[in-house]
Amino acid sequence: MADNLPSEFDVIVIGTGLPESIIAAACSRSGQKVLHVDSRSYYGGNWASFSFSGLLSWIKEYQESSGIVDESPAWQEQILEDEEAIALSKMDKTIQHVEVFCYASQDLQEDVEEAGALQKNHASATSANSTEAADSACLPTEDESPSTTSSDVPAEQTPRSDPGSAPEGAEAEVSGEKENLCDDKTCVLSTSEEGTSENVPVAEDITEPPKNNRITYSQIVKEGRRFNIDLVSKLLYSRGLLIDLLIKSNVSRYAEFKNITRILAFREGRVEQVPCSRADVFNSKQLTMVEKRMLMKFLTFCMEYEEHPDEYKAYEEMTFSEYLKTQKLTPNLQHFVLHSIAMTSETASSTLDGLRATKNFLHCLGRYGNTPFLFPLYGQGELPQCFCRMCAVFGGIYCLRHSVQCLVVDKESGKCKAIIDQFGQRIIAKHFLVEDSYFSENTCSHVQYRQISRAVLITDRSVLQADSDQQISILTVPPEEPGTSAVRVIELCSSTMTCMKGTYLVHLTCASSKTAREDLEPVVEKLFTPHTEMEIENEVEKPRLLWALYFNMRDSSDVSRNSYHDLPSNVYICSGPDCGLGNDNAVKQAESLFQQICPNEDFCPPPPNPEDILDGDSLQPGASESGDIPEASSETPKEHANPEKPEEPSE
Amino acid sequence: MMAIRELKVCLLGDTGVGKSSIVCRFVQDHFDHNISPTIGASFMTKTVPCGNELHKFLIWDTAGQERFHSLAPMYYRGSAAAVIVYDITKQDSFHTLKKWVKELKEHGPENIVMAIAGNKCDLSDIREVPLKDAKEYAESIGAIVVETSAKNAINIEELFQGITPCVFWSSPLHSGPQKAGSADGSARRRKRSTLSLKCNLRFLHELGDFLRFMSPDPTLGPPRKWKQWSNQTWEAKHANQPAVLLIEAHGPLYLKKPEPPP
Repeated sequence: MADNLPSEFDVIVIGTGLPESIIAAACSRSGQKVLHVDSRSYYGGNWASFSFSGLLSWIKEYQESSGIVDESPAWQEQILEDEEAIALSKMDKTIQHVEVFCYASQDLQEDVEEAGALQKNHASATSANSTEAADSACLPTEDESPSTTSSDVPAEQTPRSDPGSAPEGAEAEVSGEKENLCDDKTCVLSTSEEGTSENVPVAEDITEPPKNNRITYSQIVKEGRRFNIDLVSKLLYSRGLLIDLLIKSNVSRYAEFKNITRILAFREGRVEQVPCSRADVFNSKQLTMVEKRMLMKFLTFCMEYEEHPDEYKAYEEMTFSEYLKTQKLTPNLQHFVLHSIAMTSETASSTLDGLRATKNFLHCLGRYGNTPFLFPLYGQGELPQCFCRMCAVFGGIYCLRHSVQCLVVDKESGKCKAIIDQFGQRIIAKHFLVEDSYFSENTCSHVQYRQISRAVLITDRSVLQADSDQQISILTVPPEEPGTSAVRVIELCSSTMTCMKGTYLVHLTCASSKTAREDLEPVVEKLFTPHTEMEIENEVEKPRLLWALYFNMRDSSDVSRNSYHDLPSNVYICSGPDCGLGNDNAVKQAESLFQQICPNEDFCPPPPNPEDILDGDSLQPGASESGDIPEASSETPKEHANPEKPEEPSE
Repeated sequence: MMAIRELKVCLLGDTGVGKSSIVCRFVQDHFDHNISPTIGASFMTKTVPCGNELHKFLIWDTAGQERFHSLAPMYYRGSAAAVIVYDITKQDSFHTLKKWVKELKEHGPENIVMAIAGNKCDLSDIREVPLKDAKEYAESIGAIVVETSAKNAINIEELFQGITPCVFWSSPLHSGPQKAGSADGSARRRKRSTLSLKCNLRFLHELGDFLRFMSPDPTLGPPRKWKQWSNQTWEAKHANQPAVLLIEAHGPLYLKKPEPPP
C-alpha cells in the first residue's frame, strides 16, 4: 500500500507478544501515540497460535532460517555523525531443535488389502538444529501405498480442487507446500461427511468424526483451519493478574473462555482424576471415606494456613513433600496435593511455597467453575490480539511484516531517538519497547538464557476417557529422576476451537535440560502410543498419536536488564514467554514497564462508557462501546465462562 | 418484553472507502465530512425491531488495523456477517475487495454471510465501478450486494436489514419494507412454515449448541431437552440414534443458499 507511516510517535513497540501488546494497549489508552510493529506476518510472536497449515509454514521457516544471508546494511548511510546505531537482529534465534513426526496414515485410499500387512514402523525424524533442514518427516504405516513409504512427501499427488476451503493462515508459499501435503481431497470428503450429508440440509456445519476412528493426515490438513495451535501452553488462573487486567480494561469482551474441566494426576502408570473442589471430593469414587475426610481437612487448613502458623512452623525447613508426609495423608493424597494441586517440585519446594501454591489454587477454585483455570477459545494467541485491538481502538497504528533495522542513539544524550525501518524510513519516538528476540547477538552476548521444552501432539482420544468427550484437562507428570522438572500436559478438546472434531490437541511443557524431544519423549511414550494399524483391531488403552512436534523455545524471562550491552535508558526490554503455567509474569512485566514510560498513569483503566459520551457529545471516537456487550458472550455460563460475570463460588 | 437477538457484523474494506461513515450513519444517523481516519470505535450497537423481536447489531470496525494490512484474525471470530465496502469512485478499492473476501474465507468463520456495499453512490457521476461488475462478482461468491451512500443515507438501513434474513435462516416475518439488497431469492413468504428433517441425535445436539451460540438470550435458545443433552450426561454412544427435527416458524423459513462451487 502506498500509505506511508507517520514519522513521529510517543512510543514504538517492536514485537506483538503478550507483554508488548499489553503495554501498547496501556500506553495508547493513556493517550500516547503508539506505533506497534512486528517483523512477522502474524500477531503474537512466540505467543501466537497457528492453524495447522500456519504451523507447518512456521516449522518450515525455522527449519530453513539458517539460509538467510544478511544483506549489507544500507541504513548506515543514514546515521549522522552525532549518532550511533544499535542494529537489530533479522533472524529469530529463539526456536531450536524443531522435530516433526507424522504417525497418521497418509494413504491416498483406504487400502483394505494392505491393512493386515505387517510392516515395522520406523520413525524418521528431521531436525532443524543447524544447517540441516529437510522436509517434514512422515512415518509410514502399513496401509500406505508402497510409493509413499519414503520419508518424503508422497509422490502421487492429486491437485487440490477446492482452493476456497484452504486452511487459513497460508501465504503464497504455504499453499504451495500444502499442495504437497494434501494428498487426496475427494477421498477425505467421502469418508468424513457421508454420515451426515444424506438427509440434513444444514450439514455443512457438522462434520462427523469418521466412524472407523481413523483420522488420516490428509484429514488433518483438510481440517487444518480448525486448529489453533499455541506455541506457549498456558492457562489463566481465574484469580490471576491477567484475568483481573482483562476485566479491568474491558478487553475481556474480545475473547471467550472455557473452564478447564479436570485436573489429572499420573501415578503408578495410570492417569486419574484429582478431586479438588468440595463437591469433587465428596463425589469421588476413588477415595475412601477416610481419605475424603483427610483431604477435606487438609485443604480447609491450607485455605487459612496463615492463621495457624503453629501447625506448619516446625516444618518450614523441610520440603513440602516431606511436610505432606507428616500430615496424615495417604500416599495417594500426598501425590495429588504435591503434583496436581500445588504443582510444586518434590525436591525443591519448601513447605511455605507449597502451602502458598495450594492456597492460591483453592482460592481460584469456584470463581468460574470447578477448577481454577480458564482457557481462551481459539487459543492463547487470541490474548495479544485482544490487547492490540484495544491499542488500535485508541489510535495505535499497527504494522505487521514490518521490520526495524536499527535503533538510532543520540551520542550526546545517550538516548535512543528514532528507528530506521526496512524501507529506510526514520521514525522518531520518545520510548522504545523491544522484545528480547529482536536484539542482535552483539547486544545479548552476555545474556544467559534458559530454554523451554515443548511438544505439540495431535491424538485421537483423551488420556482419560469420560462420559463427555469434551474435556479440557491439565496433568502434571512428576519427573522420573531428581533434578529434572515435572512435565505439564494440557489436553484440549475440539470445543476449545483449537483442534478438529475427533482429535485432541495435547501440549507438553517443561523447563529444558536437553532438547525438547529428549526431555519430553519419555512422557509421550508413557501416555500415548503411535498410531498404527495393528492396534485398531484389538482395542488399546492409550490414545494414539497422529502427529507430533517438538521444539525448544528460549526463555528470556528473569534476564536482568544489566546483562544486555549498553542500552539507552529509554529502550525497554520485553521478555518472551516463561515456562510457568499462568500469565502473571507477563502482566507484572507489562505493568512495571508501563509505569516507567508513563509514571503516575493508571494502567489500562476501563474505557469510558459510550452512553455517557453519546449523551454529551454525539460523536466521540474511541469510546463507542456499549457497556452491556459482555452479556453477549455469556449465554452459556456453564460452558463459556466470561470473566465479567463470575459465577458465585459454588463452594 | 421483546426478545433480543444479537449478531456480530464486521466491516472490511480499504482505508477511506467509508466503513466508519456507514456505521456512523446506521447507528447515529449522522455524517461527518472530517471523520478521523482512525476512528476508534471498537464496536457500535444498534437495535432494530424486526417482527416481534429485536435485532441487536454489534458492528465491529477495523480500528484502523486494515491500513497496513494488519487485521488480527480475532476480529472475525464469531461474526455472523461481514460487510465488505468498496468505493464506487475508485476502481482500486473494488480490486482489493477480492483480497478481503479471500482473507475472510481464510480467517473468518465458515458460512459467514457476506454483504458487499459499494459506497459513495451519491458520487455516481465520477463512478469507476459499474454496478453490473459488483453484481456479477457478488453472485459468484454468494454475497448480497447493494450500493450505498453514507452521506445521503441511501440504502444503509437496507444493507443491514438485508443481512438479517440470511443470518437467521428461520426468522420471523420481516416487518420492514424489503428493498434492494434484501434477502436472496430463496426466501419464500408463507404465513406459517414447517420443515421436517430426518437426522440423528448428534445432529440435534450440535444444532442445540449452534443455536445457543447464535442466540444470546437463553429463553430463545433451543428447547430444554437440548440443554440436557449438551451437558455431560449426553452420551456419545446415542449419537447415531435416528431423530426427526421439526421446525415450525411464524413466518417464512429462510434457508441460506448453498455456496456456489468455486
